[in-house]
Amino acid sequence: MNSVPARMKALPLALALATAASLTMNAPAQAFEKTSQGNVLVFGGRQPVPNLDPSQKYDWSTRMLQQSVYDALVKYEGDPAEIKPWLAKSWDESADAKTWTFHLVDNAKFHNGDPVDAEAIKYSFTRTLKIGKGPSWMLSSVLAPDGIEVVDPHTIRFHLKEAYAPFLSFLPWWYIMDPKQVKEHEKNGDMSQAWMMEHAAGSGPFKIARWQQGTLYGLAATDNYWKGWPHKTHPVGIIYKLMREAATQRAALVRGDADIVEGLSPDDYQVVKSMPGIAIENHPGMTTFGVMFNTAKGPTSDINLRKAIAYAVDYDAFLKVYNGAATLEDSPFPAAIKGHVAIKDIPRKDMAKAKAYLAKTKYAKGGLTLDYVYVQGLEEERKIGLILLDDLKKLGIKVQLRPMTWPNMTALAEKADTSPEMMAVFTTPVATDPDAVAFQYAKESWGKYYGSHYLDDPELEKMIIEARQTADWAKRAPIYAKIQQRIVDDQPEVFGMLANRRWARRDWVHGFKFSPVHFTGEVDLYQLEIVPK
Amino acid sequence: MALFIGKRMAFLVVMLFGLLIITFLISHVAPGDPASLAAGPDAPPEMVEHIRHEFGLDRPLPVQLGLYVMGILHGNLGQSVRTGHSVLQDLGDFFPATFELVTVSMLIAVVLGIPLGMLSALKQNSWFDHAARIASVSGVAVPMFWLGLMLQLGFALYLGWLPLSGRLGIMSAPPDPVTHLYLIDSLLAGQWDVFKDALAHIILPAVSLCFPALASIIRVNRAEMIEALGQDYIVNARAQGIGTFRTVAIYALKNAFLPTLAMIGLRYGWMLGGTVLVETVFDWPGIGLYATQSAIAQDFQPIMGVTLLIGVNFMVANLLVDLAYLWLDPRTRQAA
Repeated sequence: MNSVPARMKALPLALALATAASLTMNAPAQAFEKTSQGNVLVFGGRQPVPNLDPSQKYDWSTRMLQQSVYDALVKYEGDPAEIKPWLAKSWDESADAKTWTFHLVDNAKFHNGDPVDAEAIKYSFTRTLKIGKGPSWMLSSVLAPDGIEVVDPHTIRFHLKEAYAPFLSFLPWWYIMDPKQVKEHEKNGDMSQAWMMEHAAGSGPFKIARWQQGTLYGLAATDNYWKGWPHKTHPVGIIYKLMREAATQRAALVRGDADIVEGLSPDDYQVVKSMPGIAIENHPGMTTFGVMFNTAKGPTSDINLRKAIAYAVDYDAFLKVYNGAATLEDSPFPAAIKGHVAIKDIPRKDMAKAKAYLAKTKYAKGGLTLDYVYVQGLEEERKIGLILLDDLKKLGIKVQLRPMTWPNMTALAEKADTSPEMMAVFTTPVATDPDAVAFQYAKESWGKYYGSHYLDDPELEKMIIEARQTADWAKRAPIYAKIQQRIVDDQPEVFGMLANRRWARRDWVHGFKFSPVHFTGEVDLYQLEIVPK
Repeated sequence: MALFIGKRMAFLVVMLFGLLIITFLISHVAPGDPASLAAGPDAPPEMVEHIRHEFGLDRPLPVQLGLYVMGILHGNLGQSVRTGHSVLQDLGDFFPATFELVTVSMLIAVVLGIPLGMLSALKQNSWFDHAARIASVSGVAVPMFWLGLMLQLGFALYLGWLPLSGRLGIMSAPPDPVTHLYLIDSLLAGQWDVFKDALAHIILPAVSLCFPALASIIRVNRAEMIEALGQDYIVNARAQGIGTFRTVAIYALKNAFLPTLAMIGLRYGWMLGGTVLVETVFDWPGIGLYATQSAIAQDFQPIMGVTLLIGVNFMVANLLVDLAYLWLDPRTRQAA
């Protein structure tokens, strides 16, 4: 510890060389909070959780806490992500992928002691479908409330309206609620939507202890979690503390106010990784980055122009945006998606090919200006815009960088007439089933931000529908191989890269288990343990 | 006097209505669809329509405006599509934090600014005066965001004297809500530890926020004091042997304070609506962050709720300044 006068002397230096000062300081006291019951882990995250109701909302921070207080029939775990039994100990799928039967464990209990039975499963699925928000879109086209059958207290059966092979892959995000608790808080027929925003009726490993909206969310570990705990030294509580600035997150980690943080800038990760006592989790992600073309209108409706651009881009420069913590897409499907195959002829920089393709267009001599629309303030997307600007200049194409707010971008993407010629798009599939990505290129995705391509390829459309209705994986897999090749051939986007998912944590936090199907920032808190040095 | 206040109140209502209409039109003319954003990127059109209908966004614009005005008259500011809460509940959650921060910040600015302005005027063109003037120019010029980060790095990270962010330490439970201002509620509850914790947490954001106001107070108070000190009545007071403190702090300051007071009122109203950068840096759960996040999500009703609240604050602050003018200056009383 420094004496006070010494500190006073050092203050101007600290202010003048603030960044350097943060690097030279001594290691902090341990961050986790000690209580009489045990250690509480502090997670610093940027995104608030305004609504915890599993029937109303999901995003990374919401789902991280939902995953902690609720259970689902099955759960994604591991890398590559696999679907593991959870409330369901086993399941059967009919040959036509229309009927799915789940056999439940018999020891699962909600936090109030009520058993988790088939009636609770039916109630939870029905509630989500009826409310029509949050994850309901995942199954609403194939599942109706009257298609859910309680066979006996430990068996539930789903009768789908049509064959739907990806059904199982969405179930980890359909959390099970205690009907008794939910119904108790219903007001004016709202199915307890108001109460469930900041309360929970789950059976998960944690329950809500504190809820200070806009500040922090506190969870307490359940004493006798029905599934048991992976570690004896699991935290007795988790505090999800809102830290909206990357600089604050970094300072909190270094100072010892947080045990684990997400969302640091690429440069911050470079800096903190060399600090003693800090470890970086760095894993290949499933979020793709692409420069989406409007294939229906304007100059980019010409496939030769799209190919010319795709061959003119310096893909290695994309990786440098993330200081190398990214991998190039070798297919429209991320490697973590089931059925992924690397497409050999996916474009890489080749100016000869780029010029050859350009020569087939009416812009053979260039003289063309294309808009590149990206999210205002998102530095990575701006840098990629600069790469495009530099690379396409060699083809005589001028790139106009147009930063916009996200709502304005999505508003433009709603119609083919207004969809930008080039738009920066990050996409995270919600499931590891290939349909989650393939369907982004179907007509039904037109108008969504990832459907701003307006790709109209009847052959591709036919294959996408056929694949999702095929139950047998041995028959599905080859269809998806063809789909990937077809999408690359259509070139609806410049297939960019998959940025790594990163977290910075203190080294006393153990048990971190990455799963690529988790959203950016999302961590399986159940797996963590604190091992004091 | 009563007539004056009555007129001002009537004017305030008209102003608020104008503000409401303008905000409503601007927020609804901007492109983007809050229902689509709330439904999420994968939602099918029917789900977006469901949300649009639930929040009344599918109705014609004049009907939406009419319903909104009717709602306000019944004390209902609508519902946030983004948070799902009533706007009134959200404002009740977030506004006290901003109010507490701005009030403490303004207190610091006034307590430091007025004496510094006075001293600067008394020691005109001395090194102290030059230093105060440089500080007052810097206070306006330095970005709050940068200043906040520097204070964090210096006092929280490096020196470790003060907490990094938030309103309270993560293991401290907020005091029982009476005023929703942690400093006052903790005192009312006799929770000294919580009071000290809340005080420690508010210092850095309040100092970051106070600099522009502090700078303006120093500058205006200095200028007005220099003018007042040259007036005949001050020369007369000195000639009569009245002490310097009494001459300056009572006679000169009373006249010099009027423009400073007007500036404090304007600044206070402005600060209540201009805290977003400091709130972001210090994770202060206030109305600035709420407004920004609502604006990004094009969530109309919170935007209008916040605008109205800031408008009311601004107008009330000005009204209070006018009333203080009446109290301090008999000439304005006669005019009113």
